[in-house]
Amino acid sequence: MFSFRNKSIVKLAVILTLSIVASGCGSDSEVPSAAGSSSAAATTAAPGTTAAPKATAAPAEPAEVEPLVIAVGTEPSTLDAQAVNDRNSRVFTANVYETLLTRTADGELVSGLATGYEAIVPNVAPLVIAVGTEPSTLDAQAVNDRNSRVFTANVYETLLTRTADGELVLGLASSYEAFDEDTWRFTLRDGVSFHDGSAFDADSAAYSINRMLDEDYETQRSSYIKNIVGAEAVDSSTVDIHTNGVNAVLPMQVAQLPMVPNGAGAELNELPVGTGPYMFDSWDRGQSITAVVNPNYWGLAPSIQAFEIRVIPDSQTQLSALQAGEVDLILDILPEQTELAPAFKSVAATEFSFVHLDTRKENLSDPRVRIAMNMAIDKELMAETLYGGFARPNQAQHLSETMLGYNPDVKMFPYDPEGAKALLAEAGHADGFPLTIHVGVGRYLRSEESAEYIAQALTEIGLPTTVKLWEWNEFRSASRVKAPEPEAMDMAYKWNSNEWFDAARMTSFATIGGKSNKLWNEDVTALFEAGAKTLDQEERHRLYQDAWALIHENPHAIYLLQQDLIYGMSERLDWDPRLDDEYLISGMSLLS
Amino acid sequence: MRWSNRGSSSVDGKEPQLETAPDFPSRQPIMGVVVRRVRDGAITLLIVVTVIFTLAHVVGNPAIAYAPIDASDEEVALIEHQFGLDRPFTVRYFEYLGDLATGDFGESNWQKRPALDAVREAVPATIQLTLAGILVAGLFGSVGGLLAGISPNSLFDRVTNFFSVAALSVPNFWLGLLLIVVFAVNLGWFPTSGRYGWSSIVLPAATLGIVHGGRIFQLVRSATVEEISKPYVVVARSKGFSMPVVVGRHVLRNTGLTMATTVGWEYVRMWGGAAFAIEYVFAWPGIGLLMINGANRQDFFVLQSAVIVAGAFVILSNLVIDLFYNLIDRRINSAG
Repeated sequence: MFSFRNKSIVKLAVILTLSIVASGCGSDSEVPSAAGSSSAAATTAAPGTTAAPKATAAPAEPAEVEPLVIAVGTEPSTLDAQAVNDRNSRVFTANVYETLLTRTADGELVSGLATGYEAIVPNVAPLVIAVGTEPSTLDAQAVNDRNSRVFTANVYETLLTRTADGELVLGLASSYEAFDEDTWRFTLRDGVSFHDGSAFDADSAAYSINRMLDEDYETQRSSYIKNIVGAEAVDSSTVDIHTNGVNAVLPMQVAQLPMVPNGAGAELNELPVGTGPYMFDSWDRGQSITAVVNPNYWGLAPSIQAFEIRVIPDSQTQLSALQAGEVDLILDILPEQTELAPAFKSVAATEFSFVHLDTRKENLSDPRVRIAMNMAIDKELMAETLYGGFARPNQAQHLSETMLGYNPDVKMFPYDPEGAKALLAEAGHADGFPLTIHVGVGRYLRSEESAEYIAQALTEIGLPTTVKLWEWNEFRSASRVKAPEPEAMDMAYKWNSNEWFDAARMTSFATIGGKSNKLWNEDVTALFEAGAKTLDQEERHRLYQDAWALIHENPHAIYLLQQDLIYGMSERLDWDPRLDDEYLISGMSLLS
Repeated sequence: MRWSNRGSSSVDGKEPQLETAPDFPSRQPIMGVVVRRVRDGAITLLIVVTVIFTLAHVVGNPAIAYAPIDASDEEVALIEHQFGLDRPFTVRYFEYLGDLATGDFGESNWQKRPALDAVREAVPATIQLTLAGILVAGLFGSVGGLLAGISPNSLFDRVTNFFSVAALSVPNFWLGLLLIVVFAVNLGWFPTSGRYGWSSIVLPAATLGIVHGGRIFQLVRSATVEEISKPYVVVARSKGFSMPVVVGRHVLRNTGLTMATTVGWEYVRMWGGAAFAIEYVFAWPGIGLLMINGANRQDFFVLQSAVIVAGAFVILSNLVIDLFYNLIDRRINSAG
């Protein structure tokens, strides 16, 4: 190591000496002259160690030679090397100060004042994330609930992916295009391999998509394979995905289709194999799942070396485990728990709460009635009281500002109970009529309290409203019934999430054929269907904006809030929550 | 107590340990008892299976629980078909009974593996927790109850009695959360949750032990109070026997049955559901957690298997308790 240091001093001396001869004074282009002289230096210094005594002798007799003069354009503001870093200063300071490590003339990092060095990787305990429900399988293609994704999204990857703020970007694909009317063509990244060592290629990509399309394959991701007919490998790094007619949302769907090895089957349930930055390590059923970093990962190596998903069903126990330092991240805490957690962060989620109105119910058929109902609700009050400020009023379109199709001209309905009463009278309902708001319990934060408030607010404008609570799965079945069926609900308290960041996610609510539709509007349907068939993004944006403008005049919902997700975190965890409800460990780090 | 009234015929000043019981019916052949109880147990289990199967299939639709929230009717129908739900209820029920007879408990729709595998993995954790819990409960309830009962209204009695009433009055999950906050978060002596080593069983077992021990304490204490006020104890004391001798030789024989009964009964109660709430609070990976997940996801085969196995444990525990009585007290005729 000392020899390195000596050699660099030798070279420095040689370069300085040569600089005198070669470039004289005048040069302010430090880099080229150094680079140019380094080849010359190589010949002079070729004898190596024999040259050393001569060279070290040179600065030892300064009196006999005129001092070297270097001109700089700007005077260094200070001679404190730690303070400045401009070239004019460095010309001086780099010759006066030294560093622990330095560089050879051709840029190689070598020992400076240090005789040697090594990276001491601190023995940091793995990151631990608590989930309330254990993933039922580790096959990412089968399930899509958040508790599963916390694990699978770190192990599996997709052709396209999203940045932390929701922008769709390339994942395992290196490029993609709409090839023709019913084909999207994806070119795959080179040099990617699965955790089992097999190569990620077009065959595995095509297999992955076709596996999910299989009639016998049970998957929760069925909405992501809608209008996909099949996939085929064109060559080893190109795969075509065939769609049922023009499918403009295919890139968004592809971002949710995890890639698995060619021929993979049921073994993925317990032994997941993906291409992601982390590899499956162990699964202690009922308790925890662990993963370690993938040393052969094609992308940037993550800083966290291992993580554990720990199953803790009770939310109070989760908070205790966080306080006791056993876990680093819990996914949902209540607004009032934020002061109990060692640290917390919140992010505006892509989730929107609303009361879904069945526009075919006789009393609700007049749009003015539905607008009046919107005006009865004080959303600001709800956000402040029920959610402790961790929510904001929804701008009447199930979208937030950055999403495709958001219409900035559509404004929140104002809180105006008197205006609401007038509007009801205008619509011929001055005497009001009774209503029931249906709520599935135990699913969404503060759903019962919200429904109670809404019922009270509607009662105040002359629509006496009662709240009916349902067990969650029963609610899901019952809320599928629509008018004119007599048991169809007047009003159902619902949430929707828009992890596509795109108005197309609302298609099933807005189009007449859609499963969740209670609007029955042909013009809106036409606009949404056109949006699904249009590849030009600007044009799509405009189509959906027009649709929201129409829906605003004829609302199918009482728009409520856009909710924050609040995360309880340990003090050592450094992470900014993502907008898309994904938990990528590669984007986290641990302070020790 | 039913048995002690008949048994107290020995209070005549004789050495009680020499007592014989010529007037009791001769003991039933033990194998006959076992066969009859197993038969009854099998019938009970069949009822359990029928009830849980019917309830589960009447309450909801697993396809809806599995499907994405915006799934179309066709998608739901496809999942119903994949899950085999598109066949009539009776067909599915008898098919299920037939499968059970061959040891096939069905396939979990969510876990995509045999439901019994999931239950088999979870049962040891529940056995471990309930045994540790009943050990704590039995010690606290029996020893505490006996000591309190032989000196009613003493300071010890009043303090322990107060605690036992408090213990059996609070919901067990609440007590669990309290213990977590005090002993795991504030004092840091034990982990909050999970099953990661010997220390992680302390808090859940203590929670179960305190709640169930409180109930055992109450019954043992009152049995002891009743027993020591009986004439034979007064006579024995008046003859100069010390209290520990009287209790050890005579009282314990009669209250011992109360102890065994209540300890057995509390153990069965744990399997009947009390332990499952504790599993939930402490993230203890037993069959209670499995049931809760199974119910939330409407993963019926897991839910049914877990309930059947828990039911079988209840029946088995009752059988063991009965046989135990039969062995320790010849006056009890288990065949009756």
